[in-house]
Amino acid sequence: MIAPQAESATPILEVRNLSKRFGGLWALRDVSFSVAEGQILGVIGPNGAGKSTLVNLITGLSRPTSGQVLIDGRDVTGLRPWAIAHDHVARTFQIVKPFRGLTVRENVAIGAMHGNERDQSVSDSLATADELLVLVGIAQHANDAPNQLSVADARRLELAKALATRPRLLLIDEVMAGLRYAEIEAAVQLIHRLRDSGITIVAIEHVMKAIVSVSDRILVLHHGSIIASGAPQDVLSDQRVIEAYLGNRYAKRRST
Amino acid sequence: MSAGSLAAILQPRRRTRREVLRDWIRSRRPANSWPALVGLAGFAAMLGLQQLIEPGTQRLVTAVFLFVALAQAWNLIGGYTGYASFGQVAFFGLGAYTVAVLMNNYHISFWLAMPVAIVAGVLFAVLIGVPLLRLRGHYFAIATLGAAEGLREIVNNATPITGGGLGITIPTFGDQVPTPYFGKPGFYLAFLILAAASVAACALVARSRFGYAMVAVHEDEEAAGAVGINTTLVKVVAFALSGAIVACAGAFYAFQQIEFYPTDVFDASFTVLMVIMVMIGGSGSIAGPLVGAVGLELLSQFLRVNLGTYNQLIFGAIIVLVVVFFPQGVVNYFREAVRTRRFSILDNVRRYRL
Amino acid sequence: MAQFLQAAAYGVVQGGLLALVAVGFSLVWGVMNVVNFSHGALAVTGAYLAWFLNVHVGLDPFLAIPIVAVAMFAFGYVIQRGLINLVINAPIFLTLLLTFGLSLVILNGLQLVFKSDDRTIDTSYASQSFALGAVNVPYGRLAACVLAIVITVGLALVMNRTRLGHAIGATGMDRGAARLMGIRARHIYAVTFGIAAALAGIAGTMIATVGSFNPTTTPGQLTLDAFVISVLGGLGNMYGALVGGLVFGIAESIGGLLLTGTWVNAIAMAVLIATLIIRPTGLIGKAQYSGRVEV
Repeated sequence: MIAPQAESATPILEVRNLSKRFGGLWALRDVSFSVAEGQILGVIGPNGAGKSTLVNLITGLSRPTSGQVLIDGRDVTGLRPWAIAHDHVARTFQIVKPFRGLTVRENVAIGAMHGNERDQSVSDSLATADELLVLVGIAQHANDAPNQLSVADARRLELAKALATRPRLLLIDEVMAGLRYAEIEAAVQLIHRLRDSGITIVAIEHVMKAIVSVSDRILVLHHGSIIASGAPQDVLSDQRVIEAYLGNRYAKRRST
Repeated sequence: MSAGSLAAILQPRRRTRREVLRDWIRSRRPANSWPALVGLAGFAAMLGLQQLIEPGTQRLVTAVFLFVALAQAWNLIGGYTGYASFGQVAFFGLGAYTVAVLMNNYHISFWLAMPVAIVAGVLFAVLIGVPLLRLRGHYFAIATLGAAEGLREIVNNATPITGGGLGITIPTFGDQVPTPYFGKPGFYLAFLILAAASVAACALVARSRFGYAMVAVHEDEEAAGAVGINTTLVKVVAFALSGAIVACAGAFYAFQQIEFYPTDVFDASFTVLMVIMVMIGGSGSIAGPLVGAVGLELLSQFLRVNLGTYNQLIFGAIIVLVVVFFPQGVVNYFREAVRTRRFSILDNVRRYRL
Repeated sequence: MAQFLQAAAYGVVQGGLLALVAVGFSLVWGVMNVVNFSHGALAVTGAYLAWFLNVHVGLDPFLAIPIVAVAMFAFGYVIQRGLINLVINAPIFLTLLLTFGLSLVILNGLQLVFKSDDRTIDTSYASQSFALGAVNVPYGRLAACVLAIVITVGLALVMNRTRLGHAIGATGMDRGAARLMGIRARHIYAVTFGIAAALAGIAGTMIATVGSFNPTTTPGQLTLDAFVISVLGGLGNMYGALVGGLVFGIAESIGGLLLTGTWVNAIAMAVLIATLIIRPTGLIGKAQYSGRVEV
C-alpha cells in the first residue's frame, strides 16, 4: 500500500482562486476546490470550459495568472513540471505523447527511471515497466513502436507511463474519448483499482456514463468557472449544468 | 489485476549500488558484451597499425582519430538530445587557446593545461547553454554559430593575451619548454586514446538513465518534463559533456600544431564536418558517427591526395549523393535494411521525398 | 557629424542591397523550413553570369538582370524539384547538409572555370556619385538599393495579391492541407526556390556592379548576412527582410565608424543572439509563419 498522509485533514490537492488568462480571454477564472486523499474527483464541462488548462496549471506546464496550487498543503504554484512530478503527481495527456523513437517498454521505463523513488538502473526500470505493461494489459506490445498501437492501447501506454513515476495523485485527461463500450468498462475498472491501491485521481472527462460511475464527486466547469460541484447525481440534475450543456430552452423544458 | 499487485509494483525497489553492480556483472554475456569487445579489438588493432606505418601516414590517421572524437561529441548534443549546435568549434578554439596561452605565457605543463581547457569548455557550455538551450531547431543552430563567431572575435581582439590576429606559438625548443613535444608517434597515441575515451564515454552515457533522458528530451520535451525529467539540466549537461570533449580535442590539436591563428581553430568547417559526419553516418547511435567520421575523413584525404583541384567538388557531390540516397544515415539504413530485409535504395529515396 | 551622416547614407544604400540578398533566403526558410546554405553560391553564380555577359557580349549589368533572373530561376527550380524535394521529409538538418554539398559543387565548379581572382563589373556610372547636401551618394549603390526596394515590394505584392502567392503562403503554413486543396506542393516548392535563386542572382549582379566578388570568401559572407537579416526581420516576411537589411547596413556602417578592428562582428553576433533569445520572431518584423517559431 502506498503510505497515505498521516494527517488526513490536509487535502492532497488544493486549488485556490486559480486563474489563467490568454491575451483577452480568461481560460480559468477564480477556481477553488480541494481533493482529499483517496478520492476520485471528476471534472466535466463543455468544450473550451478550461479543463485541460486546469491540468496544465496544476502540473506546472503553464503558470497561472493568479492563484495557488497546493500539494499536501505545500505551495507548488509555478514550479516546473518535473518538480511537481517529483511531488508524486502524474498526468496523462489528452492527445497522447509517447516517445516515438523508443519501444513501448522503454517508454514506460523512462517514468520508472526518472520519477519518484526512481529505479537505480536501466534494467530495474525495464523490469518495472514489464510489470506495469502486464497490469494495464499491453504486455504483448512491449517491443513495438508506440505508433503501432490502437487508440485504446495508446491510452493504456500513456497511463502506464504516468504510473511508472509512482504517483500518489494522478490527473487523467479525457482518457475515454473514442473508446468502444467494452473498452470504457475496462477503463472504469482500472481507475477503481488504481484508487484501491491508494492513488488519488482527478479525471477530466466528457463521457458522462464513465464519469458518473467512476467519481465520488464531480466539478462542473463552464467558461472557466465552477458552476456546480457535489455528488454525481445531484450535479447532473442541476439546472445550471443542464443549461450549460444543452442550452436554455432545453433546460426550461425540463423544469416544467 | 488486483489492487495489491499494483501497489506492490509501485513500491520502490530499495537496492544498493553494490547490488545493482553485482546484477550487472552477472548479466554479462557475449550477446550483450560484444560492443565492448569490438571496441577493445579496434583499439588494439590501431595500436598494432602504428607499428606498421610511417610517421607521415600516422599523421593522417591521427586526423581520423580527431574526427572520431569530435563526431561522438557532436552526437551527444545534436544526435541524442536533438539540439543541433552549429557552434561546437567554439569549444575547440577555446580548448586550443587555453592550452596555448597557459603554455606560452605561463610556461605551465601541458598535462596541467589540458584539464584546465576541459574545465573552460564546461564553464563556457554552461554560460551559453543556459540561455541558448531555450531555443530550438534552426534558431538554436544559428545562435550557437553566432556564439562561436563571437568567441573568435573576442580571441582575435584580445591581442595582449592571445596574440590576436598574429597567432600564438607554443614553445617546443630550448630548456624552458614546459612539456616536450610528443612527435608524430606520440600524437598518434594521444589522439587514439582521446578517440577511444570519447567513444567509451558516449557509449556509457547512451546506455544509462541519463542517455534515455536525453532521448526523451529530444522526442518530446513536455512529456519528458511530465515524467520527472529536469529537461534544462539534461540539456545543459549534455551540452557541457559535448563541449568538454571538443575542448580536450582542441587542447591536443593546439599542442600538435604548435602555432596557429584564431581562424585556424575557430574554423567553421570543423563544425560543418562534425555535422556531416554524424548525419551521414547516422545520428543517435554510437556506431553512426564512428562510421561517418572514419569514412569521410579517409575519403577526404584520399580525394585530396589523388584528385588535386577537383577534390572539393567531388567531395561536395558525394555529400549530395549520400544525403539523397541515405537520408537517415548510412548506419541506420543498414540496420533497418537488415532488420526488414529490404535493401532497395530507390525505395529508401521514396520514403523521404515530398 | 558629416562623417556620421555619410556613414548612415552609405549604410542605407548598402542595406538595401543586403536586403535583396536576404529576401530570397528568408522566403525559402519561412515557406519550406529549408536553410539554404548555397544561397551565397547562387548569388555569386548570378554575378559570374552577369560578368560573363558584360565582358563577352558587352551587356550592361542592369540590362542583364532579366536574363540572369530567368536563368537562375530555372536553375533553382531544377535544384529544388530534383534534389531538395527528395529529402524534405527527412530530419531537418539534411537539407542543410544537402545545400552545403551543393555549394561546394557550385563554388568549386566556378573556381575551376573562372579561377579565384576578385572580379568586378565596370560601368561608367557606378562609381560616380552625386552630392546630397553634405553627403556623397554613389550612383551604383543607389540604383541597387532602389532596385532592391522595388523588387521586395513587388514580391510582397505577389505573395499577397496573386493566386501563386497565396498558394505559396498556404503551402508554407500547412503543406498537407494545401495539398488537399489541390495545390501541387512539389511544384510550388520548386517555384519558391526558383524565385529565391533568381533574387540571389540579381543581388549577385548588383554586388558585382558596386564592388568585387570571388568564389571563396564572398558566398560565405553573403549567406551569413542573409541568416542574420532573416532572423532580424522574421522568417518569410518580405518587408521584414527589407527593414532588417537597412538596419543591418546602417548598423554595420556606423559601427565601422565608431569601433575599431573586428569588434563590429562580435557585437553583431551578440545582437543576433540577444534577438533570438528575447524576440525569436524577429526584432523588426513578425515571423509570417509564427506557428513554426519553435521548429
